[in-house]
Amino acid sequence: MALLEIHDLHVSADGKDILKGINLEIDEGKTAVIFGPNGSGKSTLMGAICGLPGYRVTRGAIIFQGLDITALPIDERARMGLGISFQHPPAIKGVRLRTMLETLTDDQELIQQYSELLNMGTYLERDINVGFSGGERKRSEILQLMVQAPDLLLLDEPESGVDIENISVIANALKLLLEKEKPIQKRKRSALIITHTGFILDYIRADVAHVIMDGHVLGCGSAAEIFEEIRLNGYKQCSHCFAEKFRDNSLCTEQ
Amino acid sequence: MIPTISSERLEDIGYDRTAACSGHFLVLDHDIIESSKIIDGLEVLPLGEAFEKYPHVKDKLFFGLIDREKNEYTRQASELPPVGYYIRVEDGVTVEEPMQAAFLLALEGSTQVIHNIIELGRGARLHIVNGCTTAAHGRGGRHIGITETYLGEESSLGYTMLHNWGSQVEVYPSGAVAVGEGAHYISNYVAMTAVKKIVSNPVAYVKKGGSARFYSIIYARSGAYFDMGSQAALDGEEASGEIISRVVSEGGTVISRQMLTGNVAGAIGHMECSGLLINSEGVIHSIPELRGAHPDINLSHEAAVGKISSEELSYLRTRGLSEEQARALIIRGFLDLKIEGLPDKIQALIDEIISRSVDAPM
Repeated sequence: MALLEIHDLHVSADGKDILKGINLEIDEGKTAVIFGPNGSGKSTLMGAICGLPGYRVTRGAIIFQGLDITALPIDERARMGLGISFQHPPAIKGVRLRTMLETLTDDQELIQQYSELLNMGTYLERDINVGFSGGERKRSEILQLMVQAPDLLLLDEPESGVDIENISVIANALKLLLEKEKPIQKRKRSALIITHTGFILDYIRADVAHVIMDGHVLGCGSAAEIFEEIRLNGYKQCSHCFAEKFRDNSLCTEQ
Repeated sequence: MIPTISSERLEDIGYDRTAACSGHFLVLDHDIIESSKIIDGLEVLPLGEAFEKYPHVKDKLFFGLIDREKNEYTRQASELPPVGYYIRVEDGVTVEEPMQAAFLLALEGSTQVIHNIIELGRGARLHIVNGCTTAAHGRGGRHIGITETYLGEESSLGYTMLHNWGSQVEVYPSGAVAVGEGAHYISNYVAMTAVKKIVSNPVAYVKKGGSARFYSIIYARSGAYFDMGSQAALDGEEASGEIISRVVSEGGTVISRQMLTGNVAGAIGHMECSGLLINSEGVIHSIPELRGAHPDINLSHEAAVGKISSEELSYLRTRGLSEEQARALIIRGFLDLKIEGLPDKIQALIDEIISRSVDAPM
């Protein structure tokens, strides 16, 4: 059984139809990546999966852990095991990062250990994201995810605005979180990564990739092959070829 | 011996006999229940006794900073035998532990009138935790409080006022502080519980090199009316002032006034008033005022009134917090004023009061 199933998902935002019939599945222990040009609907998909306000599901269903979560509140989805790293997380004045983490766990050692792993030890007493650089915000997001320990990670552009050194720090933490050190069959945690640069894939191997353009999934297949296609020909040039080359790839459904 | 007063009510306002402190002063309606001090160099007396022991207290300090005719409440206070404390710290004495004072209103429908005078000698240092509450939940009545504070040169006073009244209580405090040369005054005001009405607008007159800092945290529940403010008159060269308030309205009305006056060269002052409206029932009316009377001064203000950001709420909820928990976390954070120089114990007390008032189960 897939951990996440999305069936014929139509989503509108600000009265405009953004997603126009998305279908995809993510299996337990698998890392999927979503490619797509700006404005293709990648972040809308993340928002709809999380249940963020502003994204209205007009048709279709989101099934997580076998349950239809399409109408569930954000926090219930999170408690079921959905976790997100935002591309542009808000700054929350007065709420310290440590306070946030302590709502997720009582284990101070764990907080300390993960903070050190992400070089965030000195940020624990600071207000969440207040005065943080782009890279610090991303590290803060991943730290929160590590403590939250969700079953499915939704990572929205985890490398954007992050320098090379810190991409490696983030990637190492994600590898740990995604149990990449374990044999594939024993991994339980899954991820859906949005990226339009693909840099993060130099560090984390994705099992499968989907290409979204204009609210549709145009293709699905090997992350490396699709990324190479995009790198060589761009999105516009090869929009027709995604459908031809990467449709119904065996990687995209449960085996 | 303290009569049967709920120790919980007292602890809610920082009057905790198990905690380390330098002295106690407790008034129940108009009866002085306790007046004591623990260390040398600190004197704690009922004001009436101080009049006899120190004539200058009556002749110069009593209504020395506040005009008897200022309003009907000061007039009423001036016509009654004074009940309240006189606290004095000798020159050069640093009192490490805070002094605890509490004023309880017990008689239903009565008016409690209090007059306190604080006098710090040159270089003296003290922190007072002043708590006011009703003896039991739900009591109605009126509290009139007058506090006149005189800070000698290079002295330092931290003055934390914790209000924990009931929904039927009206409160009219008047405060004035004379901040001597190089002296420092820090006022912390916290009101988190239900109250009918509080009107208070203390003023500090700051001499050369001195500073006055006012911090207030107000949570206005439905039906409450606050007309609160602070003023710092920067009268001496290089005097400084800071006024910071955090106001949350859950249906109450808050008029938040701040005024900084820079009268001489080198005066520096800043004020911030931030208001958070939890629902559409409440009103926060922020009135920041700056008055410069010399070109070589630097006065500034920031003010903002708004609601809880839905983006912040959603963000916290994606971590699994319920809407109620996320809201409480944001409100607690909004009210979390970290005050430089405040003793850890006092900060912890304030934090605890805020948490208790706002908390939702995590």
